[in-house]
Amino acid sequence: MMFTLDWMSEFVDLPTNDPEEIAEALESLGHEVEGWERIQHRFDGVVIGKVLEVGAHPNADKVRVTRVDVGDEVLDIICGAWNFEAGAIVPVAKPGAVLQGDFKITQRKIRGVTSNGMICSESELEIGEDEAGIMVLDTDYPTAAEGLGRDFTDLLPEGDVVFDVTITPNRPDCMSVYGLARELAAFYQVPLAVPDLELPGGDARTSVTIVDDVACPRFVGREVTGIAVGQSPHQIRARLAAAGVRPISNVVDASNYAMMEFGHPTHAFDIDRLGDTVVVRHAEQDEPMTTLDDVDRNLEDFDIVVADAERPVAIAGVMGGADTEVDDDTTGVFIEAAYWNPPSVLLTSKRLGLRSEASARFERGMDPEFCRLAADRVAQILVETAGGTVAGVVDEYPAPPTPRVIELHMSEIERVLGIRLASAEAAALLLRLGFDVIGDDPLVVTVPTRRPDVVRPADLIEEIARLYGFDNIPGRLRFGTGLGLPERENRLRSLRSLMAGAGYHEIFSFSFIGAADLEAMQLPADDPARTGITVVNPLRDEEGVMRTTLLPGLLKAAASNLAKRVDDVRLFEVGKVFLPGKGDLPDQPDRLGFIAAGGGARQWGDEGGGYDVYDATGLWDLLSNTMSVAGSDLQTTERAPFHPGRSAEVIADGRVIGIVGEIHPAVAATHGIDGRVIAGEIDADALVAMRDAWRFQVPSSYPPQVFDLAFELDSPVAAGDVLAAIDTAGEGLIEKRTVFDVYEGDPIPEGRKSIAVKLTVRAPDRTLSDEDVAPIRKAIVDAVEAATGGTLRGSV
Amino acid sequence: MDPTANLSEPMETHEILEQLRAESPARIEQAETVEALEGLAVEITGKRSPIAAGRRSLGSAPPDQRRDLGRAINDVAVELNALIDARRAVLEAVEASQALESDRVDVTLPGRVPSRGTTHLIQQVMDEIVDIFVAMGYTAATGPEAETEFYNFTALNFPVAHPTRLESDTLYLDYGDVPEGILLRTHTSPMQARYMEEHDPPVYLVVPGRVFRRDPMDPTHSPVFHQIEGLAVDTDITFGDLKGVLDHFAREFLGPDIKTKFIPHYFPFTEPSAEMHVFTNGRWMELLGCGMVNPAVFEAVGYDPDEVTGFAFGMGADRLAMVRHGITDLRHLFDPDRRILEQYR
Repeated sequence: MMFTLDWMSEFVDLPTNDPEEIAEALESLGHEVEGWERIQHRFDGVVIGKVLEVGAHPNADKVRVTRVDVGDEVLDIICGAWNFEAGAIVPVAKPGAVLQGDFKITQRKIRGVTSNGMICSESELEIGEDEAGIMVLDTDYPTAAEGLGRDFTDLLPEGDVVFDVTITPNRPDCMSVYGLARELAAFYQVPLAVPDLELPGGDARTSVTIVDDVACPRFVGREVTGIAVGQSPHQIRARLAAAGVRPISNVVDASNYAMMEFGHPTHAFDIDRLGDTVVVRHAEQDEPMTTLDDVDRNLEDFDIVVADAERPVAIAGVMGGADTEVDDDTTGVFIEAAYWNPPSVLLTSKRLGLRSEASARFERGMDPEFCRLAADRVAQILVETAGGTVAGVVDEYPAPPTPRVIELHMSEIERVLGIRLASAEAAALLLRLGFDVIGDDPLVVTVPTRRPDVVRPADLIEEIARLYGFDNIPGRLRFGTGLGLPERENRLRSLRSLMAGAGYHEIFSFSFIGAADLEAMQLPADDPARTGITVVNPLRDEEGVMRTTLLPGLLKAAASNLAKRVDDVRLFEVGKVFLPGKGDLPDQPDRLGFIAAGGGARQWGDEGGGYDVYDATGLWDLLSNTMSVAGSDLQTTERAPFHPGRSAEVIADGRVIGIVGEIHPAVAATHGIDGRVIAGEIDADALVAMRDAWRFQVPSSYPPQVFDLAFELDSPVAAGDVLAAIDTAGEGLIEKRTVFDVYEGDPIPEGRKSIAVKLTVRAPDRTLSDEDVAPIRKAIVDAVEAATGGTLRGSV
Repeated sequence: MDPTANLSEPMETHEILEQLRAESPARIEQAETVEALEGLAVEITGKRSPIAAGRRSLGSAPPDQRRDLGRAINDVAVELNALIDARRAVLEAVEASQALESDRVDVTLPGRVPSRGTTHLIQQVMDEIVDIFVAMGYTAATGPEAETEFYNFTALNFPVAHPTRLESDTLYLDYGDVPEGILLRTHTSPMQARYMEEHDPPVYLVVPGRVFRRDPMDPTHSPVFHQIEGLAVDTDITFGDLKGVLDHFAREFLGPDIKTKFIPHYFPFTEPSAEMHVFTNGRWMELLGCGMVNPAVFEAVGYDPDEVTGFAFGMGADRLAMVRHGITDLRHLFDPDRRILEQYR
């Protein structure tokens, strides 16, 4: 909320005027100061004058010639405004005055008549928005006539400061100038002015019946008659404007001004349009009503309304009705100041999507004890600004609150804050904040009704700490008994560093994607990844679905790099996907996703072939090895959005935990990428959970036998089957095997291929002789031939 | 010299040796390559050399001369071998340096850089913060990002009327049928409740993770951002402990001279609540929110508020990353441009 220092000074006499000091005091009390600004008038040489005569201009009918007394002289001034007559007190810019920074006022001729200056409007002086005419000071500043010729700025609060303070939602009592004045008075230990508000009673013309005293424990109606709707005086409009509230009319302004001043929202009904019997009741189901904003609303039976005998005239605590709205012809008002139960206001305003300044306050909780004063303050202002007469009052208070009483043991303060306070000291701090305190230990504390946030000893301890000063509580460095980083977190870190070490950059993309992003994956209709959990209230369509896979984010990220001609992009992400689950919550497994695309020659001498499926499978090899995943394997698969002939499912410990390979060219093309794109998505939870315990093996110190085997096979035979046969047959002796050649073409017959493998065979305990190796070699060859139907081409 | 000459005559052998001794040094010196030298060495000391022939003839020499002759042969052999070795050393050195010279390349051509990626800056910052607390005796845990409204708000003492619960502030999911609805957690704090439900006190915990709010992307807001939550619960935790621990954290993270201050604030799940501000870049800046765990939260998770006290805190990893690395627009952190990612070294 915003307020001016001048306004606050009506309630508290602060020991300092330094805005920075006051800001620090507010902040130390827990009221964050977003900023403060000194109001500066950008004009000079404007004095108070009195219009003596107003006459016609001989050569122009849109302007008039005036004679204005500015104390030491009388000036002839031509003026285009018609909202004043002789006798008006006005601000006058004399020749030599400067307005709005650099606009110099000079003597000049207008259609043959000399004008010696200018009579000013609020907007010309930048002190208000009213451009309808000049500023008439005798209505705005009744005493202005006593100082003809005086500098006009003397009337304005000189050097006033506007503060912008954020009030935390637990402190509805501080959403007003008076509320913050109370806090500062407590801080500085200076008196807080008690506002003189009680107006005379007398029965109201209108009767009030409360049907639901939980929803509405108190309803005050104050009648003011004989008012003339018009503009508020400048002082009120200026303060409202500084507080960020647009001045409208004296009736609306009175309500807003009182709310900014004391916090409690009120609503003014045109008394002549309101029936004599007001009822606070639940709405009928589907009862219609038109609100102030001219929207037709359909009410529900949990909505609380203020109604007369005929129809609802206001939605309680939220917004008034159009039927009883105050307009220019209004001569009397019925001012409602009620206490509305926070949950019911919230429920209704949430349902209607209608949040007003009033509803925001009622939702947080107002002070039922203040209702009468709130209504009277509005009436008081109307008397001053709209010529009103205070009439009757009705005050229905079926359910006064019982003030909360909390016992606070002194040991509890020490237990929470770590400081020992004398009970008198603690009591004094609470008293300064307006709590009633009796007793010694425990302190028996009565909470003011304006403090709905204080319900238990901890809340009182906070009050004590706040005023005592958090900075005055000494710190103590204290170590815990927690057991450090869990294995899972460590393994996830290893996984990330491994990917980074392999040349991939980690990205953080959003957890929600657009339905179109999933569509672009070209998944089959029955793929569970195709239907994501939807966001009820997304900000944008592109953020409407929870991701079911990391691939859309990675594809878009890779594509955006390539589109910017940032080539050779290798990216990875570790993050959650969201899938339907069995319990209350969606399944949210962590996944590892990666992508690589582009990748021309990285430097001179490189061939620069880009990436293909073997970069993807090789990366899995590195991952499974480094992460010690047992039983890691690959099997061919055909799964969107991958290339059906160039992708493989990743297997660990006998189950599929992911997929790696090339992205389907059509999917890549949809993302504007031509050329091969490799990617993969692996269940990171499984990856980090599996960890094969390995045992140390002493490397053989005997020399190896190294030989090559080349097999001729039918083309569709998988190399993996060849290798598996080799591994089984040579178990315990094969130290290393490398596929070093894969060949099709002459002299291999059509439909056949050759795969050549280099084998390093070594025994742990002896030198293998040629005679030793021969049977091993034969066993391997036999095994491969048996498994694949291939034939040995002969040792190379 | 005829290598097949009959050296059976001792005198003749002497002469031949002398001749060899006289001629060989110049020839050895003139050898220009190791290969030529090796050929020469065979000629001078090899199997068919005069020296070898001399040795073979020793047996047939008169016994009284055998000793002298043998010594003479040996002397010549030793002398000439020494010369050959010396020359070989010279020639090898020359050839080695020639080989190096011919290997010379332009070392100012760019080297082959092993390609290295990066982990994300936000991840690095979260890891670092977690490590600071782990070093102070904390453990770490993570929790669900799609969360129930109960854990996100109700268990943390958020009043039913709290504005953050509104759909204008919080993203809700169309999922399942639980009474209070499923949302994208707005803070990492629900893990306070979840962890305490699963573990008995004492608790010393940090929770890094992703959180969500219904804020459009701008230089300081994002619908997705990251927090680190902390929770310490024990029989005698005080507000003084909170200050001491978080002060220490600020020094570890931002430097030993960092100034901090604590100002009152409001969170439904802590009481008293505070913000810790740090003085950096010439101004006070909010670093984190914190407070003493509200007894209502202890009650909600089945802890006895008369037995334990605790503090909790939460901070934004994204903002801390921005502060530390001079990033002025939050959106850069979610940009996958490789030129940005490469900077996260």
